[in-house]
Amino acid sequence: MKGAAIRELHPYLGSGAVPAASAGKCGCLRLGFELDGRGRSIMRDLERRAPLIVQQELYFDEEMPEMPCVYILSSGGPNVDGDRYEQCFTVRRNAFAHISTGAATKLAEMRCDYSGMKQHFELEEGAYLEYLPEPTIPCRHTRFACETTIRIAESATLFYSEIYTSGRRYFRDERFAYDLLSVSTAAERPSGRRLFRERFVIEPSRGGVESRGVMSGFEIFGNAVVLAPPASVDAIYARTDAFIDRERGLAAGVTRLPDDCGLSLRVLGRETEQVKHLMREFCSTVRMTVKGKPLFREFPWR
Amino acid sequence: MNCLSLGLLLHLLEFTDSAFPVGAFSFSNGVETAAETGEVKDAESLREYARDIVRRTATTDCVAAVCAMRACRAGDYEAVAEADESLWLAKLNTEARQMSVRMGRKTAELAERILSDSEAWHSSGSRWLADVVSERVRGTHAVTMGILFAACGLSERELFASLFYGSLNTVLSAALRCVRVSHYDTQRILFDLSGEADALFAGVSEMELADMNSFAPQADILASLHEKGSRRMFMN
Repeated sequence: MKGAAIRELHPYLGSGAVPAASAGKCGCLRLGFELDGRGRSIMRDLERRAPLIVQQELYFDEEMPEMPCVYILSSGGPNVDGDRYEQCFTVRRNAFAHISTGAATKLAEMRCDYSGMKQHFELEEGAYLEYLPEPTIPCRHTRFACETTIRIAESATLFYSEIYTSGRRYFRDERFAYDLLSVSTAAERPSGRRLFRERFVIEPSRGGVESRGVMSGFEIFGNAVVLAPPASVDAIYARTDAFIDRERGLAAGVTRLPDDCGLSLRVLGRETEQVKHLMREFCSTVRMTVKGKPLFREFPWR
Repeated sequence: MNCLSLGLLLHLLEFTDSAFPVGAFSFSNGVETAAETGEVKDAESLREYARDIVRRTATTDCVAAVCAMRACRAGDYEAVAEADESLWLAKLNTEARQMSVRMGRKTAELAERILSDSEAWHSSGSRWLADVVSERVRGTHAVTMGILFAACGLSERELFASLFYGSLNTVLSAALRCVRVSHYDTQRILFDLSGEADALFAGVSEMELADMNSFAPQADILASLHEKGSRRMFMN
């Protein structure tokens, strides 16, 4: 990722004790899934560079024993300034997979430069992928740029989600104390036809992040994108509620992406648990609609 | 503003006036649902909400409009179409897209009549309208305004001012009909928030299409509630 290409990063570019993108700072992960000929989906390709780690796919889902579940771990502790991570996920024809992370992604306090993440999702015809990571926690003076690109065939389904908290709320009451979150997601068809492009830039010091049309008193922001064939999109849309519940401290809204290629879900919450729970429910609706099975129950220790 | 002739100044007022018949009055930018859910209930909460909406307009619609105007001046029609498509792809709310293309088409149709003697409009605007009608382009409102303003010889600042005012005025006029606020309140908010326009424009004028961004999740949730709900006075 070239920070110079992202305007809002300009004020922060510069080298610290360890130069940006030097050895040990470029975590890389390439995972490829395909069918094994007996109806089971397997992780055919695994390429990794620390601190990003994936050990192997697991088949613990009783409802879908053929579904490989993968947890991404990070051995380096929090993401620090100068880190440049890259993740690439490919799901080949008719294969499927569920990807999450082992724990919340912590973004450390930063003094120079920024932490970058580049992700690419490639889904072939009939492929199905759920990407449901644990929340991301930005600390004081964190600068984080995440760039996600998606190439997806018309008959494939992708559930992509992300959750950002306001910070380390129980440590020095660190809420919205980060410098910058720059997050962009763009999708296209294999033909190159663009589907949508979302980009949010949050700089709390500029003011307005807690405002009525923005976080509106909530602390946790959840964002999900579903790209699926039109019939599935209609069914998922009909099964998903929009609401603002101040008592529970939770709000959600769903809308259709351009040209009905998919849906965008926004969730706002007071507590991380509630947002995670709602995100899983939404993911389960997607799986139920496309695969006819609900998402497995979350482990009690997560 | 010194260099703006009276004729041009009056054109600017005409295109920006809520009486310019492109249907802005039938949209509320989420205010209707915000009032219904109690998220916006008085002048103070309305001011906050209006600021969020106008900031979003600045970093999305205004960026695309300014890029389209520059492309128009350079005679680069493909770049105008690119600004239009980029803006469309970045509008993630169904109703926001509908509002934009309906107002865009009406703007183009109106301009075709008003500027029938204008060489500048014919060189790009007439082709634009034909492409909107035949669905070769989306015809977003902001980009169409960029073409219209370029044809009239108005500047980027004036284009920004017009879209800024339009967005704010849509929210405030809708609020008059569904929030407990008076004309005194809404005019005060309009007056005060206009003071932020210069700073916002400074940022916008440096941005390119790839820089467009917005972050207003609660406004998105309100739009979704409106989209899924049945009680409605406004189209958006």
